[in-house]
Amino acid sequence: MGEMRTQVPLSDLLTLSAVGLLVSTFGVVVRRSFAGWLSAYRYQSIILAGSTAVIAYETGVWEIYAAAALTLAVKAVVIPRLLVRVTGSVRDEFKIEANPFVSVRLSLLISTLLVALSYGLVRQTLASANLDVFAVTYLPVSVSLFFIGLFVMVSRRMALNQVVGLLIIENGLFLFTTALTQGVSLIIEVGILADILVGVMISALLLLRMSQTFDSFDIASLEKLKDD
Amino acid sequence: MTAQALEVVAIGALQLVAVFALAPLLTGIMRKVKARTQKRIGASVFQPYYDLSKLWRKDEVVSDYSSWIFRSTPWIVAVATITAALFIPVFVPLSPFSAAGDVLLVLGLLALARFFTMLAGIDAASAFGGIGTSREMMMSSLIEPGLFLTIFVVSLTFGGTNLTSLVSAAARTGIVIAPTMLFGLISFLIIIFAETGRLPFDNPATHLELTMVHEAMLLEYSGRSLALIEWSQSTKQLALLALLANLFLPLGMPASIDAGLLPLGVGALMTLAKVALLAMAVAYVETRVAKWRLFRVADLLTAAIASAMVGMIFFYL
Amino acid sequence: MRDPRREAIASFVPAAASSLLTVALSVSVLLSASAFRLSSPMIEGMPSISLSFYVDGTAAFFMLIIGLVSASVSIYSLGYAGSYSGKHSIKVLGSMLNLFVLSMVLVTATNNAFSFLLFWELMSLVSFILVVYEHEKEANLRSGITYLIMTHIGTALITAAFLVLYFQTGSLSFDSFRSAAGHLAPFTKDLVFVLALVGFGTKAGLVPMHIWLPRAHPSAPSNVSALMSGVMLKVGIYGLVRVTLDFVAPSTPADAWLGLLMVVAGSSSALVGVLYASVEHDIKRALAYHSVENIGIIVLGLGLSVVFMSFGLESLAALALLASMYHSLNHAVFKGLLFMGAGSVLMRTGTADMNQMGGLVKKMPWTSLFFLIGSIAIAGLPPLNGFISEWLTMQALLSSSQVPNVVLQLSIGFASIAFALTLGLASATFVKLFGISFLSRPRSKAAEDATEAPRSMLAGMTIAGSLCVVLGALPFVATSTIASAFGFDMGLVSTYAPFGPLTVGYAAGGLKSASSLSMPTVVLLVGSVGAALLGFVAVAGFGRKTTTRRYTTWEGGFGALDERTEYTATSLSQPIRTVFKSFFRPRTEVDRKYHSDSNKLTKRSVTVTTETREIFEDQLYSPATRAVVAVLDRVRRIQTGKINSYLLYVMIATILLLALVVFQP
Repeated sequence: MGEMRTQVPLSDLLTLSAVGLLVSTFGVVVRRSFAGWLSAYRYQSIILAGSTAVIAYETGVWEIYAAAALTLAVKAVVIPRLLVRVTGSVRDEFKIEANPFVSVRLSLLISTLLVALSYGLVRQTLASANLDVFAVTYLPVSVSLFFIGLFVMVSRRMALNQVVGLLIIENGLFLFTTALTQGVSLIIEVGILADILVGVMISALLLLRMSQTFDSFDIASLEKLKDD
Repeated sequence: MTAQALEVVAIGALQLVAVFALAPLLTGIMRKVKARTQKRIGASVFQPYYDLSKLWRKDEVVSDYSSWIFRSTPWIVAVATITAALFIPVFVPLSPFSAAGDVLLVLGLLALARFFTMLAGIDAASAFGGIGTSREMMMSSLIEPGLFLTIFVVSLTFGGTNLTSLVSAAARTGIVIAPTMLFGLISFLIIIFAETGRLPFDNPATHLELTMVHEAMLLEYSGRSLALIEWSQSTKQLALLALLANLFLPLGMPASIDAGLLPLGVGALMTLAKVALLAMAVAYVETRVAKWRLFRVADLLTAAIASAMVGMIFFYL
Repeated sequence: MRDPRREAIASFVPAAASSLLTVALSVSVLLSASAFRLSSPMIEGMPSISLSFYVDGTAAFFMLIIGLVSASVSIYSLGYAGSYSGKHSIKVLGSMLNLFVLSMVLVTATNNAFSFLLFWELMSLVSFILVVYEHEKEANLRSGITYLIMTHIGTALITAAFLVLYFQTGSLSFDSFRSAAGHLAPFTKDLVFVLALVGFGTKAGLVPMHIWLPRAHPSAPSNVSALMSGVMLKVGIYGLVRVTLDFVAPSTPADAWLGLLMVVAGSSSALVGVLYASVEHDIKRALAYHSVENIGIIVLGLGLSVVFMSFGLESLAALALLASMYHSLNHAVFKGLLFMGAGSVLMRTGTADMNQMGGLVKKMPWTSLFFLIGSIAIAGLPPLNGFISEWLTMQALLSSSQVPNVVLQLSIGFASIAFALTLGLASATFVKLFGISFLSRPRSKAAEDATEAPRSMLAGMTIAGSLCVVLGALPFVATSTIASAFGFDMGLVSTYAPFGPLTVGYAAGGLKSASSLSMPTVVLLVGSVGAALLGFVAVAGFGRKTTTRRYTTWEGGFGALDERTEYTATSLSQPIRTVFKSFFRPRTEVDRKYHSDSNKLTKRSVTVTTETREIFEDQLYSPATRAVVAVLDRVRRIQTGKINSYLLYVMIATILLLALVVFQP
């Protein structure tokens, strides 16, 4: 990857968006507040919509434009607003990750390892496959998003952070399918988006219940539900 | 000494004088931008010069408890910073002494200045100085690796650590849109905020013990010593911003010193403009963020290190 | 000879003289570029066990290190021994110190595995005696035992490595090991390497075999610590270099993992060492941890060299080896200097706890100047010697992009993060070490009454201090020495031109480029910038002459502050402790005592206790020790104390032996 830039603006655009996606993911890792995660997620979704639009422009498939627009609308606007509204009554101390299982600094270094791992994996497994420029750029990014999202879910204590981790994983999966197949049928896209929307709503409602029941968002309190 | 070598030395001296003379102006511009974004009028952009000349003529008070370390630190800081600036190609794509010292030497000299500043913070036996040194120790132990890894990324991309060849390679290639350099840029931006003591790392305009880091170490300084340190701080700021501009945004910079007078002049003016714009951007960001809690600052610095690391990963893969 | 002063002169003047002779021998070998050979068969009929010496460039280089540091330490000891007069035997200290230096010289000079192990063991035992020299303190005995156990584990592994080579070659001579280097089976090669790495690594103090260092160094007298840390660790490095370069001789890409192992061990040692040093408040323990760090940097360079060698990148291998050996020399010089400085402080204040020091820069101006020089050097700041070797190491790390293997490149990339963090933390730690010990106000009566160290001690430190300056300002002195010692064809790294720049040329990213550093020019530039600045200040006085008034430190209007309001070593490192808390696992207990239980507002006293854990001891050594003790408890049951049972053991043994003879296949 060390080569100098090529003179094609398209590849510049792809590179910029790939870097943007990774940086916004790191933003989720480094921030400690719910507002911070949400804004990082919002930026990520905007960039994701942009990348989708670029793919649409290059392939000329109108469904992908629609998918891009839907992504922008749902992920960058509806879901963040929904989450803000639902958690409005939650006390501020439940929105801050004060004491994660793995410290933020260590998480950052582990995330760099995960990026290296996913790039290595994708290069190794798909070295022989004849992939186009989108897949080459975005597949490793999407795997990184998947891994880091999973890592965020594993290493954090606050339930809201787990929701954001889930959303990042979903973004990674969306990018994966879009980059690889250049547009699943629109129906499926819409279905997935609706699914996510419902998922977020349900988890938000559950979180609300959880904060009322345990007076805490710490997932460690879920251990109390265990049957002894 | 041949005529050419003489010319090179002359360019170097001229560049150094320009950096040294313009550095306070940059600080003035940053303060002005900050004031305007906060809906204040603010002092003139030349205010740092007035401050420096006033400090220059003031008598000094030196603590009884302190030693020669305290007295000599301003001089060591000034000499180390100016020598470091001598090695950085600021306005022309040439560091006249690049055969004698490279970017790692520049980092070393800046670290030397910081080392003595930290010692001076302890020397006066004041708890404030101790606070400053203690915090600076923690921050510098993350800033230095961040800066080093950023340089590492740049050196891998352009080859070598010789500053003249790095800057000319950057000028030849233009803005590099590769993940390696982009992550390096992010890392460098974070590091510059930290290294020049800007929000959210440190507030250069406060003397409140809860927030100050750099100022706390300098609390006992007055008069000419303080002027020297502040001037060095501005010089370092200008030199680092210029390095950022020349390595990552080499627009308008000719690739070689032999490009002719007109391109060189344009390049110098472009650098000035870029540095001023960057300074304004830094000042604008400063008004948008609050001071971070000390231990979260470490998170941000680790993010810089991680970002440089991702850049390196992209280079190798 | 009961006069302690004469005893000291009789012990240490010959030591200094013979150290200088060692320097002379090694310089003559290095200048003539021909090895010095001396051998005599010791036992008739057993030629493999003979006393033979062979001083080639490698040995001569390490002898140079031993000689230089021992000379300055011997002169230093003249005065330092005075602190023991009347309390301990100076004769013992003197004779053991002489024997210690001799044994190290012999280890480097010998050309036979048997005599190598003999002298190695002598070195270990003598240094053990020196560690427990102040034997009335129980803590010293305990650290001596730790040292003894660790060093013997190391010796056992080294013996195993040599035995493997013996079985391959049928000879104990290093010459036959050397000639067999190319023909070893891959597995044998790896086995020898790993045994040697762990064995010599134990002596050199690599993580996780480092635990004896922070115990033994503070226990030993300071001149001995200077020798142990400055020189004896280098003898460990010598063994590693000898085995790696001569006997294992990596040459194929399959050997690269050996280098990688060293890179990992080195970079983690560097980071772990500096992290522990950064929170330490005992000055000698902190220096001991810094030895772990610097040995890590040396091994990192050596590992890079092995990696480059495996891929046939000769000139890069030379660069990395140059960096590593330069750092060995530097570390010997500045760590010797720092331990000598710490010894002076210990002698005059009676404590090694930095929290009891302070203000010494006024009481001991020369000692503090030398300690400052050592601190700047070890922190890797220009223009002193530490910077040069770290510059070379960074160049070697940067060249890793030429290794044609992504996994190796990435691993070296991560090693450079560790290296960069180490550099940052090292300079922060030396701010603490120098600042808390020597600056601000005295924190105890002892520090207030301290006086300057005797002249002979200052003379010893002057030698080491000026070496720091010379090796920093004139790097070609060291680089040409190392180049001739290891017979580099320097290729891309040009070093020979006196006063010329160190130049490293390499290709990366499709662009060819060269990095260079010329310290004489840099020193000249710094000088002229300083002169110009002085001139500017003199001219630009704006017509007003300023005056300087002396006054107390601003105390915020509270009246005179005492030394208890100063920052201490512990409080200074608190942010670092917090930032790296997942490593240190600090435990803080706050104990509040009140005047009355009903009123929690007026506290009588608040006691805060903070401690950090040694994870290697907690997680690795304590369980291992417990397991061994448990096994040995079982074994002890056979020792019943009854004579009958012992006779029974003899009988059983005899029968078993007879059976073995009868049923021999």
